[in-house]
Amino acid sequence: MPRKRFPRPKQLTNRNKLKKKSKVRFPILKLPRVVLLECIENLDVLEIILFSLLSKRAKSMAKLIHWNLLDITFGHDDEDPYILLTLSSNPGHTWVIRYKDFYEEEEEEESPEYSYFKSYLTGPQAKHYLFLKNDGNAIEGMKKMVELICEVFRFSICGIYIVEESQIDWIVKFQPEVRHVYIKNNVVTSVETLDHVFKNIKVTEHFVLGSIGTEKETKSKESIPYRSVSIWSSSWVTLPTVLNGNNSIIRLIDSKLTPKDINTILKEWQMGTKLQNLEYLEIEIFTTQDLESLSNEAVKDLNLTESDGNDGRPRTV
Amino acid sequence: MSSTEQGTSSAAPAEPTTAPESAAAPEVPESFYYVHGKDKVVHKVSAGALQHSALIHGMISNLGYTEEQAKANPFPFENIDGDILQMVVDWCNQHKGKPTPPEDTNLPKQKEKLFDLVLAVNYLEIKELLTYCCKQVAMMVKGKSPEEIREIWMIPTDAEDEAAEKEAKKRAGKEAAGETAAAAGDAK
Repeated sequence: MPRKRFPRPKQLTNRNKLKKKSKVRFPILKLPRVVLLECIENLDVLEIILFSLLSKRAKSMAKLIHWNLLDITFGHDDEDPYILLTLSSNPGHTWVIRYKDFYEEEEEEESPEYSYFKSYLTGPQAKHYLFLKNDGNAIEGMKKMVELICEVFRFSICGIYIVEESQIDWIVKFQPEVRHVYIKNNVVTSVETLDHVFKNIKVTEHFVLGSIGTEKETKSKESIPYRSVSIWSSSWVTLPTVLNGNNSIIRLIDSKLTPKDINTILKEWQMGTKLQNLEYLEIEIFTTQDLESLSNEAVKDLNLTESDGNDGRPRTV
Repeated sequence: MSSTEQGTSSAAPAEPTTAPESAAAPEVPESFYYVHGKDKVVHKVSAGALQHSALIHGMISNLGYTEEQAKANPFPFENIDGDILQMVVDWCNQHKGKPTPPEDTNLPKQKEKLFDLVLAVNYLEIKELLTYCCKQVAMMVKGKSPEEIREIWMIPTDAEDEAAEKEAKKRAGKEAAGETAAAAGDAK
Protein backbone atom coordinates (compact mmCIF):
# COMPACT_ATOMS: atom_id res chain seq x y z
CA MET A 1 0.00 0.00 0.00
CA PRO A 2 1.46 3.38 -0.90
CA ARG A 3 2.59 5.47 2.02
CA LYS A 4 0.44 8.50 2.51
CA ARG A 5 1.77 11.53 4.27
CA PHE A 6 -0.46 13.46 6.60
CA PRO A 7 -1.03 17.01 5.56
CA ARG A 8 1.64 18.98 7.27
CA PRO A 9 0.60 21.19 10.12
CA LYS A 10 0.98 24.80 9.09
CA GLN A 11 3.91 25.53 11.34
CA LEU A 12 5.88 22.71 9.77
CA THR A 13 5.46 23.75 6.15
CA ASN A 14 8.49 25.93 6.32
CA ARG A 15 10.89 25.30 9.15
CA ASN A 16 11.96 28.92 9.16
CA LYS A 17 8.50 29.77 10.34
CA LEU A 18 9.26 27.93 13.55
CA LYS A 19 11.50 30.78 14.50
CA LYS A 20 8.62 33.20 14.38
CA LYS A 21 7.80 34.21 17.91
CA SER A 22 4.40 33.38 19.30
CA LYS A 23 2.79 36.17 21.27
CA VAL A 24 0.72 34.03 23.61
CA ARG A 25 2.39 33.21 26.90
CA PHE A 26 1.14 30.80 29.52
CA PRO A 27 3.24 30.28 32.68
CA ILE A 28 2.23 26.67 33.07
CA LEU A 29 4.52 25.93 36.00
CA LYS A 30 2.70 28.55 38.06
CA LEU A 31 -0.53 26.57 37.90
CA PRO A 32 -1.67 24.56 40.93
CA ARG A 33 -0.08 21.14 40.63
CA VAL A 34 -3.33 19.22 40.01
CA VAL A 35 -4.26 21.56 37.17
CA LEU A 36 -0.76 21.48 35.73
CA LEU A 37 -0.84 17.69 35.66
CA GLU A 38 -4.26 17.71 33.97
CA CYS A 39 -2.84 19.99 31.28
CA ILE A 40 0.20 17.86 30.51
CA GLU A 41 -1.86 14.68 30.59
CA ASN A 42 -3.36 15.94 27.34
CA LEU A 43 0.01 15.98 25.62
CA ASP A 44 1.05 13.43 23.07
CA VAL A 45 3.83 10.92 23.90
CA LEU A 46 6.42 12.88 21.88
CA GLU A 47 5.31 16.21 23.32
CA ILE A 48 5.74 14.84 26.83
CA ILE A 49 9.28 13.83 25.94
CA LEU A 50 10.07 17.31 24.62
CA PHE A 51 8.46 18.88 27.68
CA SER A 52 10.61 16.70 29.97
CA LEU A 53 13.73 17.83 28.15
CA LEU A 54 13.10 21.49 28.94
CA SER A 55 14.19 21.47 32.58
CA LYS A 56 14.52 19.33 35.69
CA ARG A 57 11.35 20.89 37.05
CA ALA A 58 9.40 20.09 33.89
CA LYS A 59 10.70 16.53 33.97
CA SER A 60 9.73 16.09 37.63
CA MET A 61 6.18 17.20 36.75
CA ALA A 62 5.91 14.79 33.82
CA LYS A 63 7.08 11.97 36.10
CA LEU A 64 4.10 12.49 38.41
CA ILE A 65 1.62 11.32 35.79
CA HIS A 66 0.59 7.71 35.50
CA TRP A 67 1.06 6.85 31.85
CA ASN A 68 -0.36 3.89 30.00
CA LEU A 69 1.84 0.90 29.34
CA LEU A 70 4.53 1.90 26.90
CA ASP A 71 6.79 -0.44 24.95
CA ILE A 72 10.21 1.11 24.45
CA THR A 73 12.51 -0.31 21.79
CA PHE A 74 16.00 1.05 21.27
CA GLY A 75 16.47 0.11 17.64
CA HIS A 76 18.86 0.71 14.80
CA ASP A 77 18.36 0.49 11.06
CA ASP A 78 21.09 0.38 8.43
CA GLU A 79 22.47 3.76 9.39
CA ASP A 80 20.90 5.33 12.43
CA PRO A 81 19.65 4.58 15.89
CA TYR A 82 16.02 5.20 16.68
CA ILE A 83 13.57 4.77 19.52
CA LEU A 84 10.26 3.09 18.84
CA LEU A 85 7.39 3.63 21.27
CA THR A 86 4.07 1.84 21.25
CA LEU A 87 1.18 2.16 23.66
CA SER A 88 -0.87 -0.91 24.52
CA SER A 89 -3.94 1.31 24.79
CA ASN A 90 -3.39 2.85 21.36
CA PRO A 91 -2.26 0.10 18.95
CA GLY A 92 -2.95 2.12 15.79
CA HIS A 93 -0.22 4.61 16.61
CA THR A 94 3.55 4.31 16.77
CA TRP A 95 5.93 7.02 17.90
CA VAL A 96 9.46 7.11 16.57
CA ILE A 97 12.37 9.29 17.60
CA ARG A 98 15.27 9.48 15.22
CA TYR A 99 17.82 11.83 13.73
CA LYS A 100 17.39 11.54 10.03
CA ASP A 101 14.21 12.24 8.13
CA PHE A 102 14.45 9.44 5.63
CA TYR A 103 11.18 10.42 3.96
CA GLU A 104 12.64 13.72 2.86
CA GLU A 105 15.03 12.71 0.13
CA GLU A 106 16.36 16.18 -0.38
CA GLU A 107 17.36 16.34 3.27
CA GLU A 108 18.74 12.84 3.50
CA GLU A 109 22.30 13.92 4.08
CA GLU A 110 21.65 16.43 6.80
CA SER A 111 20.27 16.35 10.30
CA PRO A 112 17.66 18.89 11.26
CA GLU A 113 18.84 22.01 12.98
CA TYR A 114 16.22 21.58 15.64
CA SER A 115 13.57 19.08 16.66
CA TYR A 116 10.37 18.81 14.70
CA PHE A 117 7.41 16.49 14.30
CA LYS A 118 5.92 14.69 11.33
CA SER A 119 3.21 12.09 11.00
CA TYR A 120 2.68 9.51 8.30
CA LEU A 121 -0.18 7.20 7.57
CA THR A 122 0.74 3.72 6.37
CA GLY A 123 -2.43 1.71 5.90
CA PRO A 124 -4.26 1.72 9.21
CA GLN A 125 -1.09 2.60 11.12
CA ALA A 126 -0.19 6.17 12.01
CA LYS A 127 3.48 6.80 12.63
CA HIS A 128 4.46 9.93 14.48
CA TYR A 129 8.06 11.02 14.16
CA LEU A 130 10.16 13.32 16.25
CA PHE A 131 13.31 14.22 14.36
CA LEU A 132 16.10 15.41 16.60
CA LYS A 133 19.10 17.54 16.08
CA ASN A 134 22.18 15.32 15.94
CA ASP A 135 24.90 16.74 18.14
CA GLY A 136 27.54 14.38 16.80
CA ASN A 137 27.28 11.07 18.62
CA ALA A 138 23.97 9.56 17.60
CA ILE A 139 24.22 6.44 19.79
CA GLU A 140 25.18 8.44 22.90
CA GLY A 141 22.35 10.88 22.23
CA MET A 142 19.84 8.07 21.88
CA LYS A 143 21.09 6.36 25.06
CA LYS A 144 20.40 9.55 26.98
CA MET A 145 17.01 9.86 25.32
CA VAL A 146 16.12 6.26 26.25
CA GLU A 147 17.16 6.93 29.85
CA LEU A 148 14.93 9.99 29.93
CA ILE A 149 11.95 8.15 28.45
CA CYS A 150 12.33 5.26 30.89
CA GLU A 151 12.59 7.71 33.77
CA VAL A 152 9.60 9.84 32.77
CA PHE A 153 7.24 7.08 31.73
CA ARG A 154 8.53 4.68 34.36
CA PHE A 155 8.73 1.75 31.97
CA SER A 156 11.69 -0.39 31.08
CA ILE A 157 13.22 -1.04 27.68
CA CYS A 158 11.38 -3.83 25.91
CA GLY A 159 13.97 -4.48 23.24
CA ILE A 160 17.41 -3.32 22.18
CA TYR A 161 19.36 -3.63 18.96
CA ILE A 162 23.04 -3.49 19.85
CA VAL A 163 25.30 -2.13 17.13
CA GLU A 164 28.40 -1.24 19.14
CA GLU A 165 30.14 -2.70 22.15
CA SER A 166 29.54 0.39 24.29
CA GLN A 167 25.83 -0.43 24.24
CA ILE A 168 26.53 -3.77 25.94
CA ASP A 169 28.14 -2.06 28.92
CA TRP A 170 25.43 0.57 28.93
CA ILE A 171 22.54 -1.90 29.02
CA VAL A 172 24.29 -4.01 31.66
CA LYS A 173 24.48 -0.95 33.86
CA PHE A 174 21.17 0.66 32.96
CA GLN A 175 18.80 -2.28 32.66
CA PRO A 176 20.32 -5.76 32.80
CA GLU A 177 16.99 -7.50 32.19
CA VAL A 178 15.47 -7.01 28.73
CA ARG A 179 12.80 -8.90 26.84
CA HIS A 180 14.41 -8.81 23.40
CA VAL A 181 18.09 -8.36 22.55
CA TYR A 182 19.52 -8.26 19.06
CA ILE A 183 23.29 -8.01 18.65
CA LYS A 184 24.47 -7.01 15.20
CA ASN A 185 27.27 -8.75 13.27
CA ASN A 186 30.79 -8.15 14.54
CA VAL A 187 29.79 -6.29 17.71
CA VAL A 188 30.93 -9.26 19.79
CA THR A 189 34.57 -9.85 18.97
CA SER A 190 35.56 -12.54 21.44
CA VAL A 191 34.24 -15.39 23.55
CA GLU A 192 34.99 -13.24 26.60
CA THR A 193 32.62 -10.56 25.41
CA LEU A 194 30.03 -13.22 24.68
CA ASP A 195 30.42 -14.61 28.21
CA HIS A 196 30.08 -11.07 29.54
CA VAL A 197 26.76 -10.77 27.67
CA PHE A 198 25.48 -14.14 28.85
CA LYS A 199 26.43 -13.48 32.47
CA ASN A 200 25.26 -9.91 32.75
CA ILE A 201 22.25 -9.47 30.47
CA LYS A 202 19.12 -11.42 31.25
CA VAL A 203 17.03 -11.83 28.12
CA THR A 204 13.54 -12.94 29.01
CA GLU A 205 12.02 -13.40 25.54
CA HIS A 206 14.29 -13.66 22.53
CA PHE A 207 18.00 -13.29 21.90
CA VAL A 208 19.45 -12.80 18.42
CA LEU A 209 23.17 -12.76 17.76
CA GLY A 210 24.93 -11.94 14.52
CA SER A 211 28.43 -13.13 13.66
CA ILE A 212 31.33 -12.88 16.06
CA GLY A 213 33.87 -10.54 14.56
CA THR A 214 37.18 -12.27 15.00
CA GLU A 215 39.78 -13.83 12.74
CA LYS A 216 40.45 -16.55 15.28
CA GLU A 217 38.41 -19.71 15.23
CA THR A 218 36.02 -19.40 18.12
CA LYS A 219 34.26 -22.23 19.88
CA SER A 220 32.16 -22.24 22.99
CA LYS A 221 30.96 -25.09 25.15
CA GLU A 222 28.94 -22.87 27.45
CA SER A 223 25.20 -23.05 27.16
CA ILE A 224 23.22 -20.01 26.08
CA PRO A 225 21.20 -18.93 29.11
CA TYR A 226 18.16 -17.64 27.26
CA ARG A 227 14.77 -19.20 26.55
CA SER A 228 14.68 -18.38 22.86
CA VAL A 229 17.79 -17.91 20.73
CA SER A 230 18.60 -17.23 17.09
CA ILE A 231 22.28 -17.34 16.17
CA TRP A 232 22.93 -16.16 12.64
CA SER A 233 26.56 -17.19 12.27
CA SER A 234 26.56 -20.09 14.64
CA SER A 235 29.82 -21.79 13.71
CA TRP A 236 31.05 -21.21 17.28
CA VAL A 237 28.13 -23.17 18.75
CA THR A 238 29.22 -26.68 19.67
CA LEU A 239 27.28 -29.78 20.61
CA PRO A 240 27.70 -29.18 24.38
CA THR A 241 26.39 -25.62 23.91
CA VAL A 242 23.12 -27.08 22.66
CA LEU A 243 22.91 -30.11 24.93
CA ASN A 244 23.72 -28.28 28.14
CA GLY A 245 21.21 -25.54 27.50
CA ASN A 246 17.73 -25.15 28.81
CA ASN A 247 16.36 -23.33 25.76
CA SER A 248 12.83 -23.58 24.38
CA ILE A 249 13.56 -22.27 20.91
CA ILE A 250 16.88 -22.73 19.13
CA ARG A 251 17.68 -21.43 15.66
CA LEU A 252 21.23 -22.00 14.47
CA ILE A 253 21.98 -20.52 11.08
CA ASP A 254 25.20 -21.33 9.21
CA SER A 255 26.00 -24.00 11.76
CA LYS A 256 29.11 -26.21 11.79
CA LEU A 257 27.35 -29.01 13.62
CA THR A 258 27.71 -32.34 11.85
CA PRO A 259 24.86 -34.71 10.97
CA LYS A 260 26.16 -36.90 13.80
CA ASP A 261 25.85 -33.95 16.25
CA ILE A 262 22.32 -33.34 15.04
CA ASN A 263 21.54 -37.01 15.55
CA THR A 264 22.83 -36.81 19.12
CA ILE A 265 20.73 -33.71 19.79
CA LEU A 266 17.59 -35.34 18.39
CA LYS A 267 18.15 -38.53 20.41
CA GLU A 268 18.66 -36.62 23.63
CA TRP A 269 15.59 -34.51 22.90
CA GLN A 270 13.50 -37.60 22.18
CA MET A 271 14.68 -39.46 25.26
CA GLY A 272 13.98 -36.42 27.39
CA THR A 273 17.19 -36.74 29.35
CA LYS A 274 18.30 -33.33 28.09
CA LEU A 275 16.69 -30.42 26.26
CA GLN A 276 13.56 -30.91 28.34
CA ASN A 277 12.20 -27.46 27.57
CA LEU A 278 12.94 -27.55 23.86
CA GLU A 279 9.89 -26.80 21.72
CA TYR A 280 11.44 -25.77 18.41
CA LEU A 281 14.78 -26.56 16.82
CA GLU A 282 16.15 -25.26 13.54
CA ILE A 283 19.68 -25.96 12.38
CA GLU A 284 20.89 -24.71 9.03
CA ILE A 285 24.13 -26.23 7.79
CA PHE A 286 26.08 -25.86 4.59
CA THR A 287 27.36 -29.18 3.29
CA THR A 288 28.38 -30.90 0.09
CA GLN A 289 26.99 -34.17 1.37
CA ASP A 290 23.90 -35.38 -0.46
CA LEU A 291 20.64 -34.66 1.29
CA GLU A 292 19.44 -38.22 1.65
CA SER A 293 22.56 -39.57 3.31
CA LEU A 294 22.66 -36.48 5.54
CA SER A 295 19.04 -37.01 6.60
CA ASN A 296 19.64 -40.70 7.22
CA GLU A 297 22.62 -39.92 9.38
CA ALA A 298 20.80 -37.20 11.31
CA VAL A 299 17.79 -39.39 12.16
CA LYS A 300 19.65 -42.68 12.58
CA ASP A 301 18.18 -44.92 15.34
CA LEU A 302 15.45 -42.42 16.12
CA ASN A 303 11.91 -43.45 16.80
CA LEU A 304 10.21 -41.70 13.88
CA THR A 305 6.54 -41.08 13.31
CA GLU A 306 5.04 -40.53 9.89
CA SER A 307 4.08 -36.95 9.27
CA ASP A 308 0.58 -36.30 7.99
CA GLY A 309 1.90 -33.08 6.51
CA ASN A 310 -0.27 -31.10 8.85
CA ASP A 311 1.60 -31.45 12.14
CA GLY A 312 -1.36 -33.23 13.69
CA ARG A 313 -3.70 -30.29 13.23
CA PRO A 314 -7.28 -31.22 12.30
CA ARG A 315 -8.17 -30.88 8.63
CA THR A 316 -11.88 -30.40 9.16
CA VAL A 317 -13.93 -28.42 11.60
CA MET B 1 -21.79 49.09 41.94
CA SER B 2 -23.29 48.22 38.60
CA SER B 3 -25.30 45.19 37.77
CA THR B 4 -25.81 42.97 34.74
CA GLU B 5 -28.39 40.27 34.43
CA GLN B 6 -26.86 37.24 32.83
CA GLY B 7 -28.79 34.36 31.40
CA THR B 8 -32.20 35.43 32.59
CA SER B 9 -33.76 35.32 29.15
CA SER B 10 -32.23 31.98 28.24
CA ALA B 11 -33.20 30.69 31.66
CA ALA B 12 -36.87 31.39 31.10
CA PRO B 13 -38.66 28.23 29.98
CA ALA B 14 -40.53 28.34 26.68
CA GLU B 15 -44.26 28.92 27.05
CA PRO B 16 -45.96 25.57 26.45
CA THR B 17 -48.85 25.58 24.00
CA THR B 18 -50.42 22.63 25.76
CA ALA B 19 -49.23 21.54 29.14
CA PRO B 20 -51.30 18.68 30.43
CA GLU B 21 -48.42 17.10 32.37
CA SER B 22 -47.12 20.30 33.86
CA ALA B 23 -50.43 20.69 35.60
CA ALA B 24 -49.67 17.52 37.55
CA ALA B 25 -46.21 18.72 38.57
CA PRO B 26 -46.20 22.47 39.07
CA GLU B 27 -42.92 24.09 38.05
CA VAL B 28 -40.79 25.44 40.84
CA PRO B 29 -39.78 29.01 40.02
CA GLU B 30 -36.10 29.24 39.25
CA SER B 31 -34.01 30.88 41.91
CA PHE B 32 -31.22 33.31 41.11
CA TYR B 33 -28.06 34.25 42.91
CA TYR B 34 -25.62 37.08 42.50
CA VAL B 35 -21.85 36.99 42.19
CA HIS B 36 -19.21 39.63 41.70
CA GLY B 37 -15.52 39.65 41.00
CA LYS B 38 -12.68 42.08 41.66
CA ASP B 39 -14.44 44.81 39.64
CA LYS B 40 -17.58 44.60 41.85
CA VAL B 41 -19.81 44.16 38.81
CA VAL B 42 -22.64 41.94 39.96
CA HIS B 43 -23.84 39.09 37.75
CA LYS B 44 -27.25 37.55 38.22
CA VAL B 45 -26.99 33.82 37.61
CA SER B 46 -29.59 31.09 37.92
CA ALA B 47 -29.07 28.30 40.41
CA GLY B 48 -29.18 25.89 37.45
CA ALA B 49 -26.21 27.56 35.78
CA LEU B 50 -24.32 27.80 39.06
CA GLN B 51 -24.62 24.05 39.53
CA HIS B 52 -21.56 23.73 37.30
CA SER B 53 -19.49 25.23 40.10
CA ALA B 54 -19.07 22.76 42.92
CA LEU B 55 -17.85 25.61 45.16
CA ILE B 56 -20.87 27.88 44.63
CA HIS B 57 -23.30 24.99 44.55
CA GLY B 58 -22.01 23.92 47.96
CA MET B 59 -22.38 27.47 49.27
CA ILE B 60 -25.95 28.01 48.10
CA SER B 61 -27.40 24.58 48.65
CA ASN B 62 -28.19 25.21 52.31
CA LEU B 63 -28.83 28.95 52.26
CA GLY B 64 -32.48 29.01 51.28
CA TYR B 65 -32.19 32.69 50.33
CA THR B 66 -35.17 34.63 49.12
CA GLU B 67 -34.69 36.67 45.94
CA GLU B 68 -34.19 39.81 48.05
CA GLN B 69 -31.69 38.17 50.38
CA ALA B 70 -29.72 36.78 47.44
CA LYS B 71 -29.65 40.18 45.78
CA ALA B 72 -28.51 41.83 48.97
CA ASN B 73 -25.73 39.29 49.51
CA PRO B 74 -23.84 38.71 46.26
CA PHE B 75 -21.04 36.17 46.51
CA PRO B 76 -17.78 38.06 46.42
CA PHE B 77 -14.91 36.56 44.44
CA GLU B 78 -12.32 39.24 45.00
CA ASN B 79 -9.56 37.05 43.60
CA ILE B 80 -11.21 36.80 40.16
CA ASP B 81 -11.01 39.58 37.58
CA GLY B 82 -14.35 40.90 36.40
CA ASP B 83 -13.87 39.92 32.76
CA ILE B 84 -12.82 36.42 33.75
CA LEU B 85 -15.86 36.01 35.98
CA GLN B 86 -17.96 37.23 33.08
CA MET B 87 -16.51 34.47 30.85
CA VAL B 88 -17.21 31.86 33.51
CA VAL B 89 -20.78 33.07 34.03
CA ASP B 90 -21.36 33.07 30.26
CA TRP B 91 -20.10 29.51 29.99
CA CYS B 92 -22.25 28.36 32.90
CA ASN B 93 -25.31 29.95 31.30
CA GLN B 94 -24.57 28.40 27.91
CA HIS B 95 -24.25 24.96 29.47
CA LYS B 96 -27.09 25.21 31.97
CA GLY B 97 -28.94 21.92 32.25
CA LYS B 98 -27.21 20.51 29.16
CA PRO B 99 -24.87 17.56 28.91
CA THR B 100 -21.44 18.94 28.13
CA PRO B 101 -20.26 17.98 24.61
CA PRO B 102 -16.93 16.16 24.16
CA GLU B 103 -15.50 19.15 22.25
CA ASP B 104 -16.63 22.52 23.49
CA THR B 105 -16.80 25.26 20.90
CA ASN B 106 -18.06 27.80 23.42
CA LEU B 107 -14.75 28.12 25.20
CA PRO B 108 -13.51 31.64 25.66
CA LYS B 109 -11.25 32.39 22.71
CA GLN B 110 -8.88 34.93 24.24
CA LYS B 111 -5.80 32.87 24.91
CA GLU B 112 -4.17 35.78 26.74
CA LYS B 113 -6.78 35.33 29.45
CA LEU B 114 -6.47 31.56 29.57
CA PHE B 115 -4.15 31.49 32.58
CA ASP B 116 -6.47 33.61 34.75
CA LEU B 117 -9.44 31.66 33.46
CA VAL B 118 -7.86 28.33 34.43
CA LEU B 119 -7.11 29.64 37.94
CA ALA B 120 -10.66 30.95 38.34
CA VAL B 121 -12.25 27.77 37.03
CA ASN B 122 -10.09 25.68 39.30
CA TYR B 123 -11.02 27.88 42.28
CA LEU B 124 -14.72 27.72 41.46
CA GLU B 125 -14.42 23.95 40.90
CA ILE B 126 -16.08 23.83 37.47
CA LYS B 127 -14.83 20.43 36.46
CA GLU B 128 -15.98 20.27 32.82
CA LEU B 129 -14.73 23.74 32.00
CA LEU B 130 -11.41 22.96 33.65
CA THR B 131 -11.08 19.85 31.50
CA TYR B 132 -11.68 21.89 28.34
CA CYS B 133 -9.29 24.61 29.45
CA CYS B 134 -6.56 22.06 30.16
CA LYS B 135 -7.02 20.60 26.68
CA GLN B 136 -6.70 24.08 25.25
CA VAL B 137 -3.52 24.65 27.22
CA ALA B 138 -2.08 21.43 25.78
CA MET B 139 -3.14 22.52 22.27
CA MET B 140 -1.03 25.66 22.61
CA VAL B 141 2.14 23.62 22.07
CA LYS B 142 0.88 21.17 19.42
CA GLY B 143 3.63 20.61 16.87
CA LYS B 144 5.96 23.15 18.47
CA SER B 145 9.70 22.83 18.86
CA PRO B 146 11.24 22.56 22.36
CA GLU B 147 12.30 26.20 22.34
CA GLU B 148 8.84 27.29 21.28
CA ILE B 149 7.30 25.22 24.06
CA ARG B 150 9.72 26.82 26.53
CA GLU B 151 8.73 30.25 25.29
CA ILE B 152 4.97 29.72 25.17
CA TRP B 153 4.78 27.98 28.54
CA MET B 154 7.45 30.22 30.05
CA ILE B 155 9.51 27.34 31.36
CA PRO B 156 12.75 28.55 32.94
CA THR B 157 16.00 26.75 32.24
CA ASP B 158 17.66 24.81 35.06
CA ALA B 159 20.11 27.68 35.53
CA GLU B 160 17.28 30.18 35.84
CA ASP B 161 15.47 27.93 38.32
CA GLU B 162 18.63 27.59 40.41
CA ALA B 163 19.21 31.34 40.38
CA ALA B 164 15.62 31.99 41.42
CA GLU B 165 15.91 29.44 44.21
CA LYS B 166 19.12 31.05 45.49
CA GLU B 167 17.48 34.46 45.37
CA ALA B 168 14.44 33.18 47.29
CA LYS B 169 16.69 31.62 49.95
CA LYS B 170 18.66 34.82 50.26
CA ARG B 171 15.47 36.85 50.67
CA ALA B 172 14.09 34.40 53.23
CA GLY B 173 17.38 34.59 55.15
CA LYS B 174 17.28 38.38 55.20
CA GLU B 175 13.66 38.40 56.34
CA ALA B 176 14.43 35.93 59.11
CA ALA B 177 17.41 38.03 60.21
CA GLY B 178 15.20 41.14 60.18
CA GLU B 179 12.59 39.44 62.34
CA THR B 180 15.23 38.24 64.81
CA ALA B 181 16.66 41.76 65.09
CA ALA B 182 13.18 43.20 65.59
CA ALA B 183 12.42 40.63 68.30
CA ALA B 184 15.72 41.43 70.04
CA GLY B 185 14.85 45.14 69.86
CA ASP B 186 11.44 44.47 71.41
CA ALA B 187 13.06 42.45 74.20
CA LYS B 188 15.34 45.36 75.09
